[in-house]
Amino acid sequence: MTTINRRNFVKLLAAAPLASVLTVPTTARGAAAGKRVVVIGGGFGGATAAKYIKRMDPKITVTLIEPNKTYVSCPLSNEVISGHRTIETLQTGYDALGKRGVEILNDLVTGIDPAKKSVTTKGGKTLNYDALVVAPGVELNYGAIEGYSEAVAAEIPHAYKAGEQTLILKKQLEAMPDGGLFVIAVPKGPFRCPPGPYERAAQVAHYCKNNGKAKSKVLILDANDTFAKKALFEQGWAALYPGMIEWVPASKDGKVVKIDPKTKTAFTELGDHKAAVLNLIPPQSAGAIAKAAGLTNANGWCEIVPSSMESAAQKGIWVVGDSCVGGELPTYPFPKSAHMAMTQAKVAAGAIVASLNGVAAPVPYYANTCYSLVAPDYGISVVQVYRVDDNKFVYVKEAGGVSPADALPIQRKLEAEYADGWFRNVMADAFG
Amino acid sequence: MRKILLLSVGAAGLLAASGGAVAADIKPLAETCNNCHGVDGVSAGHSMPSIAGLPVKYLTEVMIEWKKGERFSTTMGRLIKGYSDEQITDLAKHYAALPWKPVPQDLKAKWIKEGSFIVDRCSKCHGDTGAEPDDDETPRLDGQWAKYMELQLMAYRDKDVKLPHEKMRKTALKLSEEEVGYLNHYFASAPKATGKKKEEKKEEKKEAKTEEKK
Repeated sequence: MTTINRRNFVKLLAAAPLASVLTVPTTARGAAAGKRVVVIGGGFGGATAAKYIKRMDPKITVTLIEPNKTYVSCPLSNEVISGHRTIETLQTGYDALGKRGVEILNDLVTGIDPAKKSVTTKGGKTLNYDALVVAPGVELNYGAIEGYSEAVAAEIPHAYKAGEQTLILKKQLEAMPDGGLFVIAVPKGPFRCPPGPYERAAQVAHYCKNNGKAKSKVLILDANDTFAKKALFEQGWAALYPGMIEWVPASKDGKVVKIDPKTKTAFTELGDHKAAVLNLIPPQSAGAIAKAAGLTNANGWCEIVPSSMESAAQKGIWVVGDSCVGGELPTYPFPKSAHMAMTQAKVAAGAIVASLNGVAAPVPYYANTCYSLVAPDYGISVVQVYRVDDNKFVYVKEAGGVSPADALPIQRKLEAEYADGWFRNVMADAFG
Repeated sequence: MRKILLLSVGAAGLLAASGGAVAADIKPLAETCNNCHGVDGVSAGHSMPSIAGLPVKYLTEVMIEWKKGERFSTTMGRLIKGYSDEQITDLAKHYAALPWKPVPQDLKAKWIKEGSFIVDRCSKCHGDTGAEPDDDETPRLDGQWAKYMELQLMAYRDKDVKLPHEKMRKTALKLSEEEVGYLNHYFASAPKATGKKKEEKKEEKKEAKTEEKK
């Protein structure tokens, strides 16, 4: 073994800040023993943060607080609506994380006290923390649409939180007569899963085409003037479902402002559309607990420090997933996707473990891959790579972008297969 | 002083473990790969390859070819253009140093057997079991996902798909659809070396065919 004299050791020390908590040998750690991290929310972001903190430093106590015992993935849930996938394939529990040493608390956080560094729960518990991860996902703002509410959503589903809502929409589609109008109302962005509504339109058309409802139409009423992977979706719709999908942008009176649940009518500023199935996706903002804790900006989203994912509003609290706003704004925002949430969570985990051990945080890496299924054998994707320069987000223009418009047929087929492989791996990476 | 010694041994041990050449900050970047390629490079998804334990030269070359646009990919080309050649080399070193773990999967016993009879189509480069590639530019295949190999062969068998390895393309094009399935299942089963010679295999194949007719 190489002899290390004092001079060499000084060199090693000098190199140490370049390293990070991830590469600091276990013998040098231990500073974080007895420290506790509380993670609020067990979606892709929260689960990943909990798992990676425990992986990076097993001495830290990690408590994940999540009200549901079973998680249902939103990614690929449009395939449940079209019948190509069962909801069971999207479900996972938290047992594997438990076995990794993450404490799972089935409860709902009702309050955060940043000064006392504690959270309180609906179940009456108070937990102190040394670092807090807030990953509550999005809040659906039902009240923004006249006539809509959480209760009404049982009849007029949003299906934008996967589970029972997904199954309600699926049943309504199955019961829809041939020739029925399926309306998807898209809220003003940002919202979670930017290509979600347009993939859903394709999946619904696919179902109709193959299940005796070929005379039906999908009408997308949009509060925006463009959308994610637009050219690719329009190309796919035209090739596979000609005449079946119509998109109405905000500039052509696409914004839904009011509904009549009884007649399933969606009202725009100037017109009305009576639907056989009305799928109303309400406007969104950061999860309620983030707002209550004072972590949100004027637009309702949580700003974060690019180098660490720590809240820009509150030290000692990290925000990951759909609740946060990041990226090179305004042109290249972080998309609200599972993949993005997971890379954010890994950055936050590294920064938290470093902070609790009193060492420099690792270099942050952010990337996104997002597949959409236009048909079971027709996939398209978008990739984004971000880097952090001087604690500012930079969208890496040399990388990223959408699948080529003139792609070989094999690429569409492969991307559909990779969507499935991606899904199985993100589930294993976050919850396994 | 004692404490310093302990620390420095730890740090040196770390450098030794990483081959002394992997950049200190590559692990956080590598962890972003886990999303699609599985925790520590062992894939949990049929269509995505495991990448842990593959030869460093193979990993480096495919990533550089994607970056230069010389090799077809769906998403990897768009991702890898975001990273420097040095980062790519370090990623390759990082994954090559992790253990290769064959993935358990549902396979057809008959196909595995059939594959074993025709493995000489692939063995010159990948080895009889897929575990011993003939050089550092060739990936091992034993226990790789059958679905992934099926998709890769589909790409190699499509002449419009830009893939630089001509020899692999020629070999892939010579296979029938059935043979593609047999070979994928054979290699995916992480077969053990039998030490049997070509003649013995021929005899075994004959016997299997006679058995089938009965």
